[in-house]
Amino acid sequence: MNLRLHIWRQKEPGAQGMLKAYDVADVSEHMSFLEMLDVLNERLLENGEDPVAFEHDCREGICGTCGMVINGRPHGPEPKTTVCQLHMRSFHDGDSITIEPWRASAFPVVKDLVVDRSAFDRIVQKGGYISVNTGNAPDGNAIPVPKVNADLAMDAASCIGCGACVAACPNASAMLFTAAKIGHLHALPQGHAEKGARVYNMVLAMDDEGFGACTNHLECEAACPKGISSLFIAKLNTEFVITSLL
Amino acid sequence: MRRLIEVWRSTVFQKWVMAITGVMLGGFLLAHLAGNLLIFVGADDMNAYAVELRELLHGSAIWVMRAVLVISLVLHVRAGIVLAQRNRTASGGRYAVTSYQRSTLASRSMLLTGLLILSYVLYHLAHFTFGAIHTEYYHYIDSMGRHDVYRMVVESFRQPVITILYVVAVIVTGFHLQHAIASAFQTLGINHPRYSPSIKMGGTLLSILIVIGFISVPMAIIFGLVQ
Repeated sequence: MNLRLHIWRQKEPGAQGMLKAYDVADVSEHMSFLEMLDVLNERLLENGEDPVAFEHDCREGICGTCGMVINGRPHGPEPKTTVCQLHMRSFHDGDSITIEPWRASAFPVVKDLVVDRSAFDRIVQKGGYISVNTGNAPDGNAIPVPKVNADLAMDAASCIGCGACVAACPNASAMLFTAAKIGHLHALPQGHAEKGARVYNMVLAMDDEGFGACTNHLECEAACPKGISSLFIAKLNTEFVITSLL
Repeated sequence: MRRLIEVWRSTVFQKWVMAITGVMLGGFLLAHLAGNLLIFVGADDMNAYAVELRELLHGSAIWVMRAVLVISLVLHVRAGIVLAQRNRTASGGRYAVTSYQRSTLASRSMLLTGLLILSYVLYHLAHFTFGAIHTEYYHYIDSMGRHDVYRMVVESFRQPVITILYVVAVIVTGFHLQHAIASAFQTLGINHPRYSPSIKMGGTLLSILIVIGFISVPMAIIFGLVQ
């Protein structure tokens, strides 16, 4: 298939960027979206042009490194799919595709489609530690965890920190990310000891990074490649207010 | 103290302020609607209700309610503006192409609809509560010597301009509520995979009922059902 891409090109942080059009010919429907970009970059390199910068690592949909907004949707049109697992069969011959980086003032553009997501790392750092004894591995069933809680924790822990929730949110809010990180620890007994301090510090860190406030558009839930539920945001709301005022 | 200030300033707490004050204002709206619907019962009941409202607990109840409402309104509007400014800064320039999946026109225009409602409320208070505008309808006295609320409403809604503004404001309010009701549940932490779809449906249904309820009064007057 033949495609026309409109890709955000920006030389460096703070520089003026713009959408630039590229035609890509003979794209196989079996290629992943990133492979299609690889083909474009090969050609750009052959012509002595600057290749399009984008982040990627595992290309298996589990690391959270890749991410770009495709036709207005983070990670593209397929639900619960990272852009590396998005295949060209989701598009049609002659399609025009607009590719932009995550847009949020807390995620400044580094170059082209690469944004600096270290704000997420700083939120996680504020979460602190959990109190567990080090030394020998604990006995598997020493701490009973109900199946429902284990599943809930696992659902939240499936967050890969890609930032699609922020990119999708009209307010660039990081609530789904923060709620997932808090939620997976708070569903388990191990996370309970420092619960209050964790939720308080992480919410404040999230605000300090300059993310927006949640207004319950729920675009994050639709964009999340791991399908994390806004249930965790509701839980975070209650936990923050209760623990921070008590 | 520092902690309290930090908590107050946090986005999550401001959302709580938004939700709780919103529930107060919504509760008032329902009570207001119930009062309005007395017009279908009769002039006597409506005017008696108005007197009762002003004299409840030796006239103190209405001032307590007014104080609660004014505080709720100020906090609600303030939270809305502060958060909207923050969100505008945070969103960092928008996309060339947008494709909304879950948000609605109602959810994206809360600030606009909110400010429209606020300006209408000020006009509405000046008209019916303070009698500062449209004064010709304000000074009717009924046969028992009471302020004739019934006649004030009926005569007012016979004016097309007043009715049109009212109907538009009510529809805008319904639009605001459509997102607000489900949103308040989420903000206050009530989200359950089993019940949330019903809450969302219920919120939309309640918004529609409120709109129909409020609009039924001027419609009944225009079509002569209420004289």
